[in-house]
Amino acid sequence: MPTNVPANVPASPEPLLSVRQLSRRFGGLTAVDAIDLQVAPGELVSVIGPNGAGKTTLFNLISGLDAADAGQVQFAGRDVTDAGAETVAALGLARTFQHGRVFANLSVLDNVLVGAHSRLRAVRPRAPALLSALAELALALWRPATVRHEEATLRDDALAIVAMFGDRLTPRLEHPAHSLSYANRRRVEIARALALKPQLLLLDEPTAGMNESETTEMLAIIRTLKERGQTILLIEHKLELVMQLSDRVLVMDNGRRIAEGRPESVRNDPAVIEAYLGHSGVGRTNVGAPVALAA
Amino acid sequence: MFHFESLVATRRALLGWLVATAFGSAGAAPAAGEPLYFGVSGPLTGQNAQYGAQWKAGFDLALEDINANGGINGRPLAYLFEDSQSDPRQSVAIAQKFVADPRILIELGDFSSTASMAASPIYQRAGLVQLGFTNSHPDYTKGGDFVWSPSISQADSQPLLADLAVKSVGLKRIAVLHLNTDWGRTSKDVFVKAAQERGAQVVASEGYQADEKDFRSTLVRVRDAKPDGLVLISYYADGALIASQIRSTGIHLPVVAVGSVYSPKFIELGGAAVNGIATNTTFFPDEPRAEVQNFVKRFRAKYNREPDAFNAYAFDAVNIAAQAIRTANTTRDRRAVRDALYKIKDVPSVVFGKATFDPTTRRVNGVRSVDLIVKDGAWAVRDEKSAKAAAVAAK
Amino acid sequence: MNSFVDHTVNGLIVGNIYALLAVGLALIFGVSNLINFAHGSVYTVGAFIGWYAITRLQAPLWLTILLVIAGCALLGMAIERIGLRPLAGKARIAPLLATIGISFVLDQVVQLIVGPDPRALPGPLPNWRLQLGGGTIGALDLLIAGIGVVSAAVLYGFLRFTRLGWAVRATAQDRDAAQQMGVNIHAVNQSVFAIASALGGLSGLLVGMYYNNISPAMSFQATLKGVVAVVIGGVGNVPGAIAGSLLLGLTESYGVALFGTPYRNLFAFLLLIAILVWRPNGLFGGTKKLPPEPLTGTFIAPSRPIRLPTWAWAALVGVLIVLPLVVHAPYLLQTLTNAWLYALLALSLTLVAGTVGQISLGHAGLLAIGAYASALLALDGHLPVPLAIVLAGLVTAGLGTLLVYPAFRLRGHYVSIATLSIGEIVALAILNWESLTHGPIGIAGIPPVQFSNRLIDAGPGFYWLTLAAVVALALLQNRLLGTHLGRSFRAVRDDDVAARAHGLSPNRYKALAFGFGGFAVGIAGALTAHLYSYINHETFTSQISILALTIVILGGMGNVAGAVIGAVALIGLPELFRITAEYRMLIYGAALLLLVRFRPQGLLGTH
Repeated sequence: MPTNVPANVPASPEPLLSVRQLSRRFGGLTAVDAIDLQVAPGELVSVIGPNGAGKTTLFNLISGLDAADAGQVQFAGRDVTDAGAETVAALGLARTFQHGRVFANLSVLDNVLVGAHSRLRAVRPRAPALLSALAELALALWRPATVRHEEATLRDDALAIVAMFGDRLTPRLEHPAHSLSYANRRRVEIARALALKPQLLLLDEPTAGMNESETTEMLAIIRTLKERGQTILLIEHKLELVMQLSDRVLVMDNGRRIAEGRPESVRNDPAVIEAYLGHSGVGRTNVGAPVALAA
Repeated sequence: MFHFESLVATRRALLGWLVATAFGSAGAAPAAGEPLYFGVSGPLTGQNAQYGAQWKAGFDLALEDINANGGINGRPLAYLFEDSQSDPRQSVAIAQKFVADPRILIELGDFSSTASMAASPIYQRAGLVQLGFTNSHPDYTKGGDFVWSPSISQADSQPLLADLAVKSVGLKRIAVLHLNTDWGRTSKDVFVKAAQERGAQVVASEGYQADEKDFRSTLVRVRDAKPDGLVLISYYADGALIASQIRSTGIHLPVVAVGSVYSPKFIELGGAAVNGIATNTTFFPDEPRAEVQNFVKRFRAKYNREPDAFNAYAFDAVNIAAQAIRTANTTRDRRAVRDALYKIKDVPSVVFGKATFDPTTRRVNGVRSVDLIVKDGAWAVRDEKSAKAAAVAAK
Repeated sequence: MNSFVDHTVNGLIVGNIYALLAVGLALIFGVSNLINFAHGSVYTVGAFIGWYAITRLQAPLWLTILLVIAGCALLGMAIERIGLRPLAGKARIAPLLATIGISFVLDQVVQLIVGPDPRALPGPLPNWRLQLGGGTIGALDLLIAGIGVVSAAVLYGFLRFTRLGWAVRATAQDRDAAQQMGVNIHAVNQSVFAIASALGGLSGLLVGMYYNNISPAMSFQATLKGVVAVVIGGVGNVPGAIAGSLLLGLTESYGVALFGTPYRNLFAFLLLIAILVWRPNGLFGGTKKLPPEPLTGTFIAPSRPIRLPTWAWAALVGVLIVLPLVVHAPYLLQTLTNAWLYALLALSLTLVAGTVGQISLGHAGLLAIGAYASALLALDGHLPVPLAIVLAGLVTAGLGTLLVYPAFRLRGHYVSIATLSIGEIVALAILNWESLTHGPIGIAGIPPVQFSNRLIDAGPGFYWLTLAAVVALALLQNRLLGTHLGRSFRAVRDDDVAARAHGLSPNRYKALAFGFGGFAVGIAGALTAHLYSYINHETFTSQISILALTIVILGGMGNVAGAVIGAVALIGLPELFRITAEYRMLIYGAALLLLVRFRPQGLLGTH
């Protein structure tokens, strides 16, 4: 049984994530313009587009870190449009960040353990806020058997996740995250997200700034996750990766969807090509425009 | 105004003092040998550092005299000044230090009641007299029978201020501005009661913080209560600040202030704005009384400036302490020093004339005062003529 | 109606004065992202340079102004070069503390040179007055207003139309990008400090003349009011600083008019908190966005904590327990008892500031709550003292957390400003709520600690009691940090956005930390009250808050053992320095500067 897929994945094709007409404006600028998106369980959907297309903003809206101006987000059968990030995370959505946000002064192991926070049950009883907080404090200090057991289980889970990255992270479990190389920090970030045992994993440019071999390693990991049944929403600039991994691709530009579909069809869509290579006469804006597009 | 009886008493005191000095100095050689010590807990740095400096000036002057005339039974008297910053945390630590140092026979200070009262339990338990000579908090001496204070009690001095304000200056609707500390508060409460007993009404009462600089809004508020005069319960720095802002708020009323404004600095900081302000003080350098003249002349000679009340309190405190140690005739016994405080009578005092402790309250009863007024940029005794001139100038 | 005009005019006049201070602060914050706590000291130096020029050199006003501007500009440049530039790459807490250290040093040097007395600063200006409403204004009021307007205009022109001005604005927007573009960051910083300090010194001169009163002790209030004004207007925003200052002046003025003088500062700080809570970017600042992504720890110096083996700690505690039986040194015991009380405070602060990253400058307010709660429960509530102390700890935990809750939505320096204000509000509330706290008279006759007829006042008994409290709470805190809460606290500190994305509610964990820490501080305050037998609103000042933070930094932020060691070092050393009493603050400030420069992770490392 794959360890990363929660047991209650619905068997029906009911979408895990359903985004409808989602919009976000910043003053005069519309960063996300009436986006529709559906992600079925087990799918890997990529979101691509030139810089400034609104991809990260979309992630922020879905994960609850930002509030939409219009539209709806449904996740795991619930309306989470106005829900905060903590709630969405508790429902089983984990994400990574565009430039990598690890907890710099925490060890690798602690980073991953924090990822599992929303799965804590024994030490965080359900109760109205104040009582729950006090109970959490009391239980943490007292450490009854249930709490110790839970902590040990979490630790085992974390070690297993870290093992996925070969010997990149395992020898560095007690090192503080700020002392790691950039690539390792990104790996820690993904491990932390996986510790949440998410139903849906949002990866924001997981290979940004990585060289060829590091990118290949990351590709293998994402593929492994996909094979285990993990539902993934991916932002990427490296189009070879996108083509190899995705079930579907959504292309954004200027906040709007300009294409969506299977990777091959999207690749040859003239509107997409225009978005990446075009805006002619204005200047070269296409950092990261892939050579592979012509292949 | 001087009271006639006190003039007679002054002459007697003068004679007695001269005689004592004559007899005393016949056999007196400068003190020599290992000094006897008193401890001082007070602010040398921090917000109240200026008062610590005033203390030192007073102490040094008193010691010069004492040690030139035989010290304490032949041995010189000296002090150990520890900087408490008038902070209770530090005054407590200093208390432990003094208590543990067997050379220290008596302790003077601290400056604020907060700092002194925090340390009182330590002095009381250890049996070392704490002489809080600027602590007028009503509960201060309740700390125990080793806690003494020659500072002026509010219960004695505020009625005199009320006399000045209500009877002499003739105020009927008084607005009071007071420093919002324990000293200012208790003073204000006693003053208000005394003023009301004399038939006046207190129409406004504003308490301000020690570091406040701007009083304009306060003064407008006071003005709106339609008083016929202002009473300031302040120290000289804040008093001067208030005075200089009164006119700019459109207030042209007589101002009476409590004696702690009496200081050459009040005039320096207040400039022309303090002309006409009346006060009564226990210490006035031009008072012809022997103790006062002795102190003032020597202070001027040594420091080349005018003394103020804080210098005088410090000077007196040392003389009281010296007299107690002398009477106890001891070099180590602190208990004897405490017992001596019950015994000593009529210690020559700049402030009291003659200081004797009340054994029940461990304070000194009786307070002398002279009414003063600022005239043409200098302090002068307030009499009818100068008062009328001030009233005219204030309009 | 007449009075309303007067209050308005007064408010504008006072606001005008604050504006001179605030502009300099805003400029520095805008470019260096730094609250310059030494600004008030520069203001003081300016006033004294002016005093020297006017009274000793008999200089005319225009020359005095020039001297003050030049002198303070040089001072500002020196501060930047010597005190701040070496800290460029370090943790962001470092410059904040460096400016505090600098302010101690400057204030003490000024006091050593001129003495502590306040002195007059006569303004050589004509003495005419203009009727305005019920009151009058004079030449100096107009001069101050004039200089305020002129300097704002000149500054505006400078920033808008000169190359250096553009460089300053570019650096304020994005330091790294500006550097990439070839902007000489050092020149920019030097100019900014020069200009801001010149303005600060000039305001010292003008305000000194205005009130005819200057003293070395006036720095702290000046800085405080300047910071409040700047935050209200929006930090880094020069026109906003001016508007904020005027608003502050008006608020104080109307506050006095409506409620009386004791409420003046209370309203100022309440306004500040209101702005921080509802419009943290100030009235004229921009909109909020997600904070940029940190690559490494932002406010804390990353390091590894030094761990001593358990047996070493046990041995040390053993020695401390046995000490009073072996050595007869009441002074030493009193000093150590004092150190234990500070250690409790430091334990709490190291949890809140070190582990959770909330750099609180108002912790003394919690001490006061604990002290008053215990005193009142014992005196008015007639509870046995040990029970009163424990209850006081709980009251402080609850009330303290409640008071600081509005500040949880803030980050970085704003947290420090908010907590500083909350501390001041607590002190002012204690002063004014007379029916409960006896106001300025304070509470006397607080009973000493008593366990069923066994009196534990000062001496070995009290020493052991406080030592026991320290050991117990330190062990408990250590245990806490080893649980999931420890890593949750640190996660919230290091990156609260990422923390939220993984299901941690920052408010919940900040509240828990403040609650747990509040209990320790409450106990410390309560013990202090029963030791001193007398407390009032001046017993726990904001200086204690800053001292506590310095202890925490010295020990290593977040480091439990470090908090205790730091307390012993910083409370023991001033007792050693007692020999050089007048130089104590100077040495203390210099020590802080050296610490921040060469060892920001403290003695035992951060955690």
